[in-house]
Amino acid sequence: MPQFFLNKRLIILLVSIIILVALIGFSLRDRDQLSWPEKFVKDTAGWVQSIVATPTQYVVGIVENIKDLQNTYEENKELKTHLEDMARLEAKVYSLEQENAELTEILEIEGSIGDYEPMQATVISRSPDRLWHEMIIVNKGSSHGVQKNMAVMTARGLIGKVKSTTPFTSTVQLLSAMDPTNRISAALQGDKKLFGTIEGYDKENEWLLLKGLPIDAEIKKDQMVVTSGLGGIFPGDVPIGKVIEVVPDQFGLNQTAYLKPEADFYNISHVMILTRGMEIPEEIKVEGEEDEGEDL
Amino acid sequence: MKRFLVPLLLTLLFVIEGLFAQLLPANLFNGDYILVPRLLIMAIFFLTIYGSVKHGIIYGFVYGLLFDMVYTEIIGVYLFLFPLTTYFFLMIMKVVQTHILVVSFVSLISIAALEAAVYGMNLLIHIADIDFTSFTEIRLVPTLALNLIFVILFAYPFKKQFEKFADRLRND
Repeated sequence: MPQFFLNKRLIILLVSIIILVALIGFSLRDRDQLSWPEKFVKDTAGWVQSIVATPTQYVVGIVENIKDLQNTYEENKELKTHLEDMARLEAKVYSLEQENAELTEILEIEGSIGDYEPMQATVISRSPDRLWHEMIIVNKGSSHGVQKNMAVMTARGLIGKVKSTTPFTSTVQLLSAMDPTNRISAALQGDKKLFGTIEGYDKENEWLLLKGLPIDAEIKKDQMVVTSGLGGIFPGDVPIGKVIEVVPDQFGLNQTAYLKPEADFYNISHVMILTRGMEIPEEIKVEGEEDEGEDL
Repeated sequence: MKRFLVPLLLTLLFVIEGLFAQLLPANLFNGDYILVPRLLIMAIFFLTIYGSVKHGIIYGFVYGLLFDMVYTEIIGVYLFLFPLTTYFFLMIMKVVQTHILVVSFVSLISIAALEAAVYGMNLLIHIADIDFTSFTEIRLVPTLALNLIFVILFAYPFKKQFEKFADRLRND
């Protein structure tokens, strides 16, 4: 027995395993905020990263521009065909917007959950530990008004939500992360709005999973899925993806839809962090805080 | 100034790892495979073998903690595994020659061990939910292929740099 305790290496190993378990337990718990040493380290790292990232992105941008020039002719042709449709759509949007404004004035509705204000941010780093941690770090933080759980999108669609903030950077967890707590409330656009949650990612096909749709709902291919705006500080009507396939879930009580995401989760350099335009009522703010982290 | 050369080099590698995903052309392999650069731990391996063991393990701890805080937000996994794989690497190096080719090969093996250990840990805390075969296919093999290229490129510069570092330590 005394020999066991004299074995220095074994003691070190045991102590470090205990510390390891304690630290992992500490960081896995549903934290509202990072601890201050973490914030300090992340801010310092973010500063160094942005020094290196800015010139690199500039060079990468030039290379990409040259590449783009090669397909200009093809793209131009395609864009011209789209352009013809544009004028018609523009007129329609204008009249619809007018009509909408008039109607909301009559009904005295102030704002809608679809209103949001975008805040531009640049990606300064991406977690190299991909597949387990699909995260990007952007150069806007809590001092710019970013809060935990805010929606983040590129020009094409939703890419994820803010996982944590420090004063000058924030970490965005992408929708393609495997983390089972990464859930987002979504709505299927159609004659009748159907609600479900985005839960999980099919790595092989690069599809998102929309779970919890009613079993008797008729869902067609190519139907659009947007954020519902029902949870916390997420705005509504941010495009997520299009339905590819619908299957009943494992117990046959609900349906699961596979979506093709609108945004590209790989090639991200500029993002928009969305601040919801509509005020959140005080009661919901207090009540929602417990499950905000999981059930957005 | 020369005292800060090693931490500076390791910090640079740390930052490059974070930028790597943006530097790699997006349409390469159509995003089917995940290539993880492991330059930092590779440099730490070379530091332990050509520089000093003590410094290697300490840098393993420090950069493991940094990696956890900045890139994963789960403190503990890399903090524990960076020094442990460095130790594992040293154990193998005790029985084989310190020829640069052998060192490169053993560091690749150690990187594979690190990847597998990270997978195991993440499986335990329910972050990973894929089976071992798909993990090998999607992440392990491409990562090793990428790091093979890196080790070919950087083995000699690393060796030179850390031998100089060992010289400086001896002279102090």
